[in-house]
Amino acid sequence: MLEISDLEVRYDTEHGEVHAVNGLSVDLAENETLGLVGESGCGKTTTAKSLIRLLESNCTIAGGSVELDGRDLTDLSLKELKREVRWSEISMIPQNAMNGFDPVYTVGEQIVEVVQAHESDTSKGEARERARELFEKLGIDGDRIDDYPHQFSGGMAQRAMVALALALDPKVILADEPTTALDVVIQDRLLDVIQDLQDEMDVAMLLITHDMSVVSERCDNIAVMYGGRIVEYADAETIIKSPRHPYTLGLRNSFPDITEDSQDLISIPGAPPTLVDPDEMCQFAPRCPFAEEECWEVAPEPVEYGDGHRVECHRADEVEYLRSEAEKHETWTELESTETDDELTETEVKND
Amino acid sequence: MRKFIVRRVAYLILTYWAFITILFLIFRVTPGDPTTLYIPEGMSQAERQATLERYGLTDPLYVQYVDYLRMLLSGDLGTSYRYNAPVWDVLTTKFWNTIFLMAGAMTIAYTFGIAFGAYIGWLRGTAKEKYGMVLALIARSSPEFWIGIVLLSIFVFQLGWFPWGGIREIGAEAPASFFDRYVNWGFVYHLVLPVLTGAIYYMAQPILLMRSSMISVLNTDYIEIKKAEGLSNYTILYKHAARNSILPMVTVVALVAGLSVGGSLVIETVFSWPGMGREMVESVHHNDYPMAQGAFFLMGSVVIFMNFIADIAYAFLDPRVRYE
Repeated sequence: MLEISDLEVRYDTEHGEVHAVNGLSVDLAENETLGLVGESGCGKTTTAKSLIRLLESNCTIAGGSVELDGRDLTDLSLKELKREVRWSEISMIPQNAMNGFDPVYTVGEQIVEVVQAHESDTSKGEARERARELFEKLGIDGDRIDDYPHQFSGGMAQRAMVALALALDPKVILADEPTTALDVVIQDRLLDVIQDLQDEMDVAMLLITHDMSVVSERCDNIAVMYGGRIVEYADAETIIKSPRHPYTLGLRNSFPDITEDSQDLISIPGAPPTLVDPDEMCQFAPRCPFAEEECWEVAPEPVEYGDGHRVECHRADEVEYLRSEAEKHETWTELESTETDDELTETEVKND
Repeated sequence: MRKFIVRRVAYLILTYWAFITILFLIFRVTPGDPTTLYIPEGMSQAERQATLERYGLTDPLYVQYVDYLRMLLSGDLGTSYRYNAPVWDVLTTKFWNTIFLMAGAMTIAYTFGIAFGAYIGWLRGTAKEKYGMVLALIARSSPEFWIGIVLLSIFVFQLGWFPWGGIREIGAEAPASFFDRYVNWGFVYHLVLPVLTGAIYYMAQPILLMRSSMISVLNTDYIEIKKAEGLSNYTILYKHAARNSILPMVTVVALVAGLSVGGSLVIETVFSWPGMGREMVESVHHNDYPMAQGAFFLMGSVVIFMNFIADIAYAFLDPRVRYE
């Protein structure tokens, strides 16, 4: 239903052009929940916002296409996008719902506002009735549509936000870390409610998060994002149980597993790339314990490993070796100590 | 909401009481008593004593304080030494002269300044915003007297469109009734340049304040959500962004409105406008204490009252205040 192909989004900054999204392709089927995971600054949020072109003034979509039911959204004028796509087809839930509502209007007024902005023939009374129904579906008392945002608790506000997101019966919801501001119990209940409504109303969701436990439980498929690209894509179980990309392996290491004794978390050394005029290479190479000469020179192409499992890594074939090495602490710490050497190699390679 | 208003009224009364008490004390601790300033030299000790007694200045302080309160409550501000007329009568004329001047200038400055500030805040990072900022900063850094003189030299001495100052034709008697005095073209004609001077000078603050307030509101999540909702720019700008940005302005407007009752000494001097600002300075020069006290009283009253209005207005504009 939603097909993103070779999407390129760039920020024009004083340091140069930042390739925040650098040739990203991924599909989203009806009613599917796709988890988009990765470190801060890897381009997750930019990807989501570029779908409805909600970008800063120095940010542009430089290439690729976003097709929603066959219609390329990047071809639409901003006016068409506002009228026909934003909220009616693609809506969103922000990280902190408390700040997602304008504090000086009641939540009901804000739901009515968006309904009437898109459906000129819906009366205020009908729109209010819809807001009330949505509230009740989400387990909030319908009378509370007349409350102001600050009168809701955090969890309640997030539910009200979901009600707002569903007000126009969209096809896709972009949820940018919708539960990070909530405690685990409330988080779980909220995700349950969202999942039920998603099935009932047939909505797909792009769930952006860095919480691996949330994605593994809630998502059908997971896309692991690094340096503006999707480096590994598969169904949730494959990503969690048998990933192939060194970055996914590292990511998995850095989350505690309560079923195992080892509580020693292994983190990935280094920081994500700045993506300012990036070189032609694997963007993860500087932090990858398995990087070889080829990785510094050639950007890997996506390779399929059956069942839609897509990996962008030159060494993905050596999966057994990668997995066994990635589990060891030394693999990652050694890299840290040889980092200066890596930089040397990098310059050497460039000089060649 | 009712509870909120009741509480504010209580605060109002308390503040007001503190204000008039401080006003009373300030004029008691000023050095010397009225006889040293206002009674002719060479007055004998007995005459001096008699004068002090006549004005009740020999009574203990608390008796004076009670008298003072009683007189204020009955609207009696005493007698001006200089005019030998009730302070209240002299002040009301000056007060209204100032109100017309300052209300005109402030209304233009704040209406235009808020709308313009919201607009350039919305256009952040564009060339239009830069030019707007340059204009605002020029207005901000131009002294009032300079603006006044520039306007005078263009519109009076070059073009001859407006009179050079005063509030009516030179030599004309002030009409007795309020209506005749202010509601006529002659007055408006005299009013234009002083109001324009004030408007230009006072406009910079609302522009800059509204712009920065707007910029911080535009960075909030809810503005992004409103954009994602596909609402029109107009709706987002005025219904959401400006509506939230205007909140800090309410306090400023109230404060400025209160202070402006004191008039603008500079504008009044440049345009020979007989207003509160000049009156207050002259009263102090001539040691006309009842007059000065009366002027302070009027000014303070308006500041306190405007703040009260601002509190109430705030509650209407921002629901979060109401439920505190």
